[in-house]
Amino acid sequence: MIASSLILIGLALLGMPLFAVIAAGALYGFHTEEIDLAAVVIEIKRLASIPVLLAIPLFTFAGYLLGESNAPKRLVRVTHAFLGWFPGGLAVVAIMACALFTAFTGASGVTIVALGALLYPALKEAHYPNNFNLGLITSSGSLGILFAPSLPLILYGVVTQQLSLEQPISIDDLFLAGIFPGLLMLAVLTAYSVVVRKRSGGAAVNAPISIRECGRAVREAIWELPFPFLLLGSIYSGLLAVSEAAALTVVYVFIVEVFVYREIPLRELARVTRESMVMVGGILIILGVSLASTNYIIDIELPMRLFEAIREHIDSRWAFLALLNLFLLGVGMMLDIFSALVILVPLLVPVAMSYGIHPVHLGILFLANMQLGYFTPPVGLNLFIASYRFERPILELYRATLPFFFLLLGTVLIITYWPELSLFLLH
Amino acid sequence: MTVSEHGGNASPPASQWLRWLHNLEDGLLALMLFAMVLLASSQVIMRNFLDSGFSWGDPLLRLLVLWLGLMGAMVATRLDRHITVDALLRVLTPGLQRGSRIVTKLATALVCALLAWHSARLVALDYEYHDVLFADVPAWVGDLILPFAFSVMTLRLVFQAVMEFRGRS
Repeated sequence: MIASSLILIGLALLGMPLFAVIAAGALYGFHTEEIDLAAVVIEIKRLASIPVLLAIPLFTFAGYLLGESNAPKRLVRVTHAFLGWFPGGLAVVAIMACALFTAFTGASGVTIVALGALLYPALKEAHYPNNFNLGLITSSGSLGILFAPSLPLILYGVVTQQLSLEQPISIDDLFLAGIFPGLLMLAVLTAYSVVVRKRSGGAAVNAPISIRECGRAVREAIWELPFPFLLLGSIYSGLLAVSEAAALTVVYVFIVEVFVYREIPLRELARVTRESMVMVGGILIILGVSLASTNYIIDIELPMRLFEAIREHIDSRWAFLALLNLFLLGVGMMLDIFSALVILVPLLVPVAMSYGIHPVHLGILFLANMQLGYFTPPVGLNLFIASYRFERPILELYRATLPFFFLLLGTVLIITYWPELSLFLLH
Repeated sequence: MTVSEHGGNASPPASQWLRWLHNLEDGLLALMLFAMVLLASSQVIMRNFLDSGFSWGDPLLRLLVLWLGLMGAMVATRLDRHITVDALLRVLTPGLQRGSRIVTKLATALVCALLAWHSARLVALDYEYHDVLFADVPAWVGDLILPFAFSVMTLRLVFQAVMEFRGRS
């Protein structure tokens, strides 16, 4: 088993698609257990028996439509009109806009590409220090995955539900649990922006609030403004299930962007559709094969064995959490968030629960850690996207993101060691 | 694509045919997505406002998730856009990169071929047992996408590996 695992890891590092790596592991595992290999296919087929998965193609398509239209521009204009007047206001605009956009589109570098192109020049023009701009945009690219209806949160719920835990967790619980940890991250970045703004003495450039600009910005975005409130309201109030909200989201976004604003011509629509479905196919096939591998690792009681091995060295929950932080930070640099979820969550949840960690809290700290991994030097994905997008050397990005890294690392530690911050809304 | 470089005189019709096939594939994918959006939203409206809805609506939507996922994976294979870890690949020399691309593509093709074979067996089993999916749709029809998608992916991967290998000489 160890030799075959090493071969698979080697192939994965050489660039073998992760779905094939996981499928090979599942096929090999079922084979050694002398189970008919058709069982692997039956597990993949279970993609058709998990209702909430409908939300994945729908939200992804809606996110791509939003990214392709001028919605990011309008979002920035509205937030700027209302928040631009106070010191650090424009930076706060960037933070809020990125968080909102990522929550709706899933963290995949889309935020940096769609919003960074608008915000980076704007920040520069307002005389913010250049390193600060680069660092802010890069680290905000993964901000917001703790807020509903982000796909990583949904996927964590789906994967955890496959484990048939004694205390089942719902996706609505995760949506509630993410609110305060997410707000904590926003608050810390906002405070830092105000400090930097004051220190760089740029206060004179802040424009006073203009009622007229507020009115114009609102009028321009009038079709999109009510939508986040309606969507979040209907999910948090329990009026609609997640997949139902996703269906209405797509219809609304489609009508508004294609027919009302007319910003996506038909030819572009074909391309956007295909791009979004390539992303969906990539995620769903990994999820499908991981249903099979999860089944196998539970069958051979791998989580229990892992727990016993770890317990020999670590018996306190806090020490385990510290180790988990380090481990997830490393993983977050190497793996994208979706693969990390389907590969690690089935192993981690039972182990963490044996240490008395609530599965909802584990989900939030898992995602918070992964979010940090997106811009952890040397190989965090968003560092490369930003380096490419803004044509800056990668070393400059390491330096620029460092203060943001330590600030958000602080929040991740708070989220990790203060479970109530995530859990108190659930009680 | 590289087809025209290697095929000589006979290639324009072949690559045209291929392009037509790819467009058809993209079109089907889009069609499926739009069917999903329409059905899902009308189910929501009927359920919440009219207290009705198609009894076959929800099972069909779940089935569409599987079909859309696998078709999306087919297209991702075609465009070489599956989710991978490429940290190590970035530091290899171009020659080693090409070598590892050939090896990993063939390994992936092998996995897909196994999955295609066992899905075909599953379809045959469902056909024999006359299982019903929903309404009057037999279960084996819903499963058809599995052997189809995995076979197409196998072919594509072998083709890409051969192209990669030929590009070397």
